[in-house]
Amino acid sequence: MTNDTLKTREAISALADGQLRGQEFARVVEAVSKDDDARATWHAYHVVGDVLRSGDAAGHNDLAFVARLQIRLKSEEVAVQSADAVKLIAPDAINAGANGQFDTKRDSANVSRFRWKLVAGLASFTAVAAVGWGLVGGLSTAPTVNLAAAPAAPASATVVAIEQPQIMIRDPRLDELLAAHKQFGGTSALQMPAGFLRNATFEVPNR
Amino acid sequence: MTDALPPVTTDSDLMLVERTVAGDQRAFELLVIKYQRRIQRLIGRMVRDVDLVEDIAQETFIRAYRALHQFRGDAQFYTWLYRIAVNTAKKALLELKRDPTVSEGSLRSGDDDDETSWHGNEPTSDETPESVLAAKEIAAVVNAAMDALPADLRQAVTLREIEGLSYEEISTVMNCPIGTVRSRIFRAREAISEKVKPLLDNQSGKRW
Repeated sequence: MTNDTLKTREAISALADGQLRGQEFARVVEAVSKDDDARATWHAYHVVGDVLRSGDAAGHNDLAFVARLQIRLKSEEVAVQSADAVKLIAPDAINAGANGQFDTKRDSANVSRFRWKLVAGLASFTAVAAVGWGLVGGLSTAPTVNLAAAPAAPASATVVAIEQPQIMIRDPRLDELLAAHKQFGGTSALQMPAGFLRNATFEVPNR
Repeated sequence: MTDALPPVTTDSDLMLVERTVAGDQRAFELLVIKYQRRIQRLIGRMVRDVDLVEDIAQETFIRAYRALHQFRGDAQFYTWLYRIAVNTAKKALLELKRDPTVSEGSLRSGDDDDETSWHGNEPTSDETPESVLAAKEIAAVVNAAMDALPADLRQAVTLREIEGLSYEEISTVMNCPIGTVRSRIFRAREAISEKVKPLLDNQSGKRW
């Protein structure tokens, strides 16, 4: 038996007792997972422990049990997918290793950064300047002046109307027709003929 | 020696769980190798059928694997696994009781899930004549190898495996450095397992 084998077995013994940390833990777990001798040692140490504690070796075919379980575990994609999701969501947590320390040099996603504040300030200033420019420029244009002078305009229009009265051509037959049908037309609150309106009535049938 | 003794559990279980959740399925297999006998013994007290014991034990580990990301280490891993095994066995028993093709003889009381209530002399159901013989042979070899150990190695492994003391506590009790404790426990285990490994190989038919 080589020294390396002995060292590995001693490390396996320490692993069984929870005495390994960090890289040594990972190295021995890797060895037990891959190396048949290391795996058999892990198994034998636990069988010895079970016998010492309970006096019972529970004579079962451990290898067949684990082999059968391995087949079922391979079909278990749920746990693998969740592990993959963890890798995607929190790769730092996965890479933190056995010491559980994250890389604190990297900023978190929601850390406050000055450049974003600068961009927001510039955008606000631009918006205010654009609105202000529109207001100041708009006051000096002609339509606003017309609005200010509007009260004078009707007077001149009245004058024009007096000076040049428009002639209204009326058809006497139409006047007669309208007078004859005035009793049916009537006016509504809208002050205009509303012949298009229909009154709905409810007639109770005679029984 | 009874099965009611506190199991030797350490935070290496938690580290293996974390490694499994991180995607290393082989780490879970180490936990299976560590706890499968204890789980099968537990289920064997509830179910008589040998094949059923193994099926329920398989289902227990599959359920544990699926829920492994929920294990936070608040309790010991075996305690957590124990509850899963008991619940799985109870569920299986309920289903079997509804099955008219299953005889009463293959079932035991599902309420007997207290590990301390089991009597060591009562044969468990997952035992065939061959497995009983093999188990007795292994136990005899372990005890003989234990008796043949030098006193300091025997004391170290006894304090660790049976009394469940930590390396620091053993160091205090034996008045020696922790490195010496680690070495003595390893040499004791190695001496015993060298005698046991051939029997385990015969039992499984081949090496790992």
